[in-house]
Amino acid sequence: MKVKIKKYTAVATWRWENSTSDDVCGICRVQFDGTCPNCRFPGDDCPLLNGKCGHSFHLHCVNDWIQTESSRGLCPMCRQKFEFDSGP
Amino acid sequence: MSTFAAKRLQKEMAKIHQGLAPGIFFVNSPNLQHWQMDIQVLDSNPLYAGKTFRLNFRFSNNYPIEAPEVTFIRAPDREIPMHPHIYSNGIICLDLLSSGNGWSPVQSVESVCMSIQSMLTGNTKNERPEGDEAFVLREGRSVRDIRFVYDDPTV
Repeated sequence: MKVKIKKYTAVATWRWENSTSDDVCGICRVQFDGTCPNCRFPGDDCPLLNGKCGHSFHLHCVNDWIQTESSRGLCPMCRQKFEFDSGP
Repeated sequence: MSTFAAKRLQKEMAKIHQGLAPGIFFVNSPNLQHWQMDIQVLDSNPLYAGKTFRLNFRFSNNYPIEAPEVTFIRAPDREIPMHPHIYSNGIICLDLLSSGNGWSPVQSVESVCMSIQSMLTGNTKNERPEGDEAFVLREGRSVRDIRFVYDDPTV
């Protein structure tokens, strides 16, 4: 029997590497796979930033923090200097 | 109120309705920027046993990047707890509540309540901060404008 595919609908899911779907950004408390409160579309427009200390946040959230003088450039979680981990 | 602060506070509110740590209770929030919480000390510390204290939270547009203003308030059956870092007008000297010192945006209403709870739990001194009377007389300025000196790591 030969089947001819006339039409199909593809569905895919995604998540950021090194995160589970339950993980939330400690600053905004939204899932990593969702957006920071100021963005509308998840994904590359609202990426994660992984710190060398092992803590991750939405880029936009941790940026708001790091830009304040009172942050002194420290990770909100562990208070080590927050440095961007560019990966292996 | 900014979208960011409002969304974050709504998240916290939703979580509060699922339950809070022991000895911490949500009282009310006339609006999203203003919450009241009750706390109790759970061990048998004679200074606080059997008493409940009320905390007033005010959030700025910049919450949680900026710390909330948190003070104790008087209400029927709610006094200001005696503590060497709590003024008789309810102002709390705690580095965690100060942007630029101990505040971090991963803190929350619940975690602040827990920190204040443990600040009371560990206290044995039935006294007010030095200079309390003069400090309270100068009241009226914003809590945010007060520069505390955090010189006592033991309390």
